[in-house]
Amino acid sequence: MPAADGMVVFTASDKVKARRKATMEFITLNHPVDCGICDKAGECTLQDYHFEYNGGASVSRDAKTHATKHFDLSDRIVLDNERCIQCTRCVRFTREISKSNGLGMLDRGDHSIVRPSADGSFAKDAYSDNVIDLCPVGALLAKDFLHKARVWYLKATPSVCPGCERGCGVNLWHRKDEWMLRSPRQAARNDGLDRVTPIENPAVNGPWVCNKARDLPKLLGRVRAAGALFKGAPAPLEAAVLEARALIAEAKRPVAVVSSWASNEELAAFKAALGGRLALVAKRDHEPQPGEVVQDDLLIRADKNPNAAGVRAVLGECGTEVPKDADLVLVWGEGFDFRAVPASAKIVFLNAFLAPENGHADVFLPVSIQTERSGHYTNFAGVTSRFERCFALPPGVLHAEDLFGSLVGNGRGA
Amino acid sequence: MRHLIPEFERMKERFPEGFDSSLVLPCLHRIQADRGYVAEEDIVGLCEYLSVPRIQVEEVLSYYTMLRREGIGKTHLQVCRNIACSMRGAEGVIEHACKRLGVKPGETTADGKFTLSTVECLGSCGTAPVLMVNDAYHENMTLEKLDALIADLSAGGGNS
Repeated sequence: MPAADGMVVFTASDKVKARRKATMEFITLNHPVDCGICDKAGECTLQDYHFEYNGGASVSRDAKTHATKHFDLSDRIVLDNERCIQCTRCVRFTREISKSNGLGMLDRGDHSIVRPSADGSFAKDAYSDNVIDLCPVGALLAKDFLHKARVWYLKATPSVCPGCERGCGVNLWHRKDEWMLRSPRQAARNDGLDRVTPIENPAVNGPWVCNKARDLPKLLGRVRAAGALFKGAPAPLEAAVLEARALIAEAKRPVAVVSSWASNEELAAFKAALGGRLALVAKRDHEPQPGEVVQDDLLIRADKNPNAAGVRAVLGECGTEVPKDADLVLVWGEGFDFRAVPASAKIVFLNAFLAPENGHADVFLPVSIQTERSGHYTNFAGVTSRFERCFALPPGVLHAEDLFGSLVGNGRGA
Repeated sequence: MRHLIPEFERMKERFPEGFDSSLVLPCLHRIQADRGYVAEEDIVGLCEYLSVPRIQVEEVLSYYTMLRREGIGKTHLQVCRNIACSMRGAEGVIEHACKRLGVKPGETTADGKFTLSTVECLGSCGTAPVLMVNDAYHENMTLEKLDALIADLSAGGGNS
């Protein structure tokens, strides 16, 4: 009977409740109920519905059917066929959204199992990890997050994926203050990201993100540059800032190579402090990596930087090459080929990560990464999204936004 | 399967436009009738011909137990083991067939003459127990009739 005007529908009568309970009994008939060792526990809809609509132990006297556990669905995802309730959301995702047709339901009845296509298309699906979120139970789990943390130990900080100029909304999951790991062996994980999930934003990414966003913990978890350097030799931070200021002040034709991973706030601070003093060159900090999907029809964009549009909006059109007559080059962020710097020019380098180039600069200054500050990126379509801070600023590291004001002035005196 | 494409083209005419994926099942039946089973190259060729993703063909192949991925013996004995046949002695028929042929259900005799399978309902409960010899029904099966049938088939008899 279709819904009609004036119809009264009872959704919580005793009869309805009894039917729901019976349905839950049926769905959990062969489910292992191993919530105690399941990563999905705490955000599992089967668990939630069971709590809400049934709550009782199984009344079945028959043994549960067994199926494959720890099946390698891809090098990213592990499948537990006993937990699977055969809803086929993952199968539909690969057919209707990512269009890889990478998954299917093989066999029938209580032998039915989700399996990847024999042509290996699921392993190549750049959006495959969305099936982990779609899975209503703990059948599909990320290998990177497997047994890493109970989800209630974690909090989600809203952020923006810097993986390309789409700027997808993401939640960055990291440990709650009250659940920090105390053992020295594990304490390093307190300052790292545990996992990434999409934030639904119809204007930018819909409900999905690509696998690159899921790998942000690795990208942002790389070894950091720990302190300031003069030509590779450790230097006090204050002295390094003063030296950088003096080099800029003494230069006749200074050039700044601007990061397209910088936030709008950082770009505004840069423009206010140094915009009139230095010639500007825009830089792509990241280029497509071998094997990476360059661009597609769903989300992935060719420019692998989050704020190229923000650079254009705040600083206007910048140059693309360092002028041959530059006598000082301020390089901001990764991905710069230092061979482009004229041989006689001084180099001031701002970078967050440990890299061989750090030691080549006349002055090197370590700066913060996205998870240590808040700010905004503007995506290719002009949509501006905000990201929040996850972690405190590590000691010896500067926010670029605060630094630029200190780089204005004369000489080496304070 | 390439030599079957003219036949598939004629089948295609019976389907509405845009429903090529509905041809997966009849095409697989035809391929199996031709080769005796569905080979890897048939799957690849059919996916290409119908423009369907490989996983859809794999799903159909795994769903229907009558579709095979490997060759079988010259004569296929399929004994029903569903409830009506079981109550009328199918278990004894299966056991006897195993003993006579020297194979277990799912196996093929060493000389490649017989493959023995157990199957679910063949839709002939009124004449249980039933077994099929290739495409032909043999009803109200008894151990004596089975002995005679196997002797006849071993001697090169037809599907009578």
